[in-house]
Amino acid sequence: MLTASTELTVLQGVAEFVFYAVLAVFAENVVFSRSMGVSRLIKLVNDPEIHTWQYCTPVIFVQLCSAPLGWLAATYLQPVLRQALPDWMPVAALRPLIYLTMAAVAMAVVWLFLGLMPSAWRVPCREQLPMATCTCSVLGTMLLCANQNYTLLQSTGFGLGSGLGYLFAVLVVDEGRRRLGSKDVPAIFRGLPSSLIYIGVLSLALYALVGR
Amino acid sequence: MPNEQNRRPSKVTPQPGGRSPRRKPGQEQSQTVIIPQLSPEVLEKARRAAAEGKTPQQVEQETVAAAEQAARERAAQQTPPAAKPAQPAQKKPARKTRQEAEEELYQSIHDDHLWLNNPVMVRGLGLAPIVATAINGSYAMMLCAAAVLLLTATRVLAVAVCHLTGNRFRALVYAFSAALVYIPAYLILYQWFGSDLALLGVYLPMMVVEPVIIKRMEATELESVGEAFRRGINNTVGLCIAILLVGALRELLGSGTVFGRTVFSFAPLPLASQPAGGFLLLGFLAAVWTAVGGAYVHYKQEEVRHLYVNRKH
Repeated sequence: MLTASTELTVLQGVAEFVFYAVLAVFAENVVFSRSMGVSRLIKLVNDPEIHTWQYCTPVIFVQLCSAPLGWLAATYLQPVLRQALPDWMPVAALRPLIYLTMAAVAMAVVWLFLGLMPSAWRVPCREQLPMATCTCSVLGTMLLCANQNYTLLQSTGFGLGSGLGYLFAVLVVDEGRRRLGSKDVPAIFRGLPSSLIYIGVLSLALYALVGR
Repeated sequence: MPNEQNRRPSKVTPQPGGRSPRRKPGQEQSQTVIIPQLSPEVLEKARRAAAEGKTPQQVEQETVAAAEQAARERAAQQTPPAAKPAQPAQKKPARKTRQEAEEELYQSIHDDHLWLNNPVMVRGLGLAPIVATAINGSYAMMLCAAAVLLLTATRVLAVAVCHLTGNRFRALVYAFSAALVYIPAYLILYQWFGSDLALLGVYLPMMVVEPVIIKRMEATELESVGEAFRRGINNTVGLCIAILLVGALRELLGSGTVFGRTVFSFAPLPLASQPAGGFLLLGFLAAVWTAVGGAYVHYKQEEVRHLYVNRKH
């Protein structure tokens, strides 16, 4: 039987999870605030052969699965390694290897999970899964969570929010790219320059929204 | 002297792999027979030898040897001198067709990772560390050093591993190669920059999955190790130029200094130090870069067009 304090704790947990997810979508957006995964995003919106959902679905799932694994690595694995390694070898040198391994494990889990989906989703998503795993947004989110000492709940919420935030950024930039194809845009600004300026303006707007 | 006595079995030519040629039993062994002609000089020598009291066998052996020697000398004189190696006909430089010239031009543009196909300004790679952390000259220097240590080594190691794995699991091979290269690279960087390295935050370890480092994983064709090294160096130089340019400009606009030296007593554009300012500045720089590069390419294309305007091909 649930008591009032238990219910409160659960509610607090849910609220914390949602708060960190929303924070990651808007205020700490991986693209607009941290500029992570921008190169891949620009290539994605200009590539007609890859659909947004085809790339972003694996990104969201990998972010969600890798966040708790990253928390495990930061909380349990890194302290052990710090003691085991010789003095001349700082554990910071191994951070990419550790977190990349966690991302690869998350990729394997997502690969199995995608097997439950219909083949129309499964095959294209599995094609993009390795690319979606080895991106700055996935590794950067894990490293950020480790640096900020987030708890398991906060890390998972932030991971999910980062994936959703990346999808949000792709949709916004894709819409902007369509409008930036106008003939009114000078020729030298078409393509990469206009996309960068557009992302910069959106980033400024987000600063205003957050109040930086 | 009967010629039968002068027959000597020829040496058997060894076969590759140490095998001797098979012969059917009873098959006659082929022999090379030297039949020296007995010239008057040879006969005279034989007569002298007999006069000196040598045995008939000795006289015969010496006579045959002298006759063989004379035959060899005669044959050498008759052999025509070795023909001089034929000089290759001097080819006239083949005139390229217009299509070939254009393809050559496009190839040179594609290979020019410094200006015309710069990884940052033209292809939009490596944006995360540049926008987020290249906010001044010293940070840009640290990023440059990291790029120098990581990019080429990662590319060469990943290509070597891909040759072993049959070019499968490219994404993971490239990313883990970068992560492995990062270990010694970090130690070197720590020796160079000390605790300042922490100022780059998560963007330094994040470089192992930065597209400018592992972009090649998207290509299905496998390059050779030498080619990977050459392209890695080219990309590194192009990336470093872009990083330093952006870092110096952002420092100038954001705080009025360049590599710590005061140029303006005020900050012309403080926003340049923020990621949003980085995006905007990089966008304008890329526009200028593309315009200059595009003008040069247009000039070269016009040059090719004028060159081939009166030709049929």
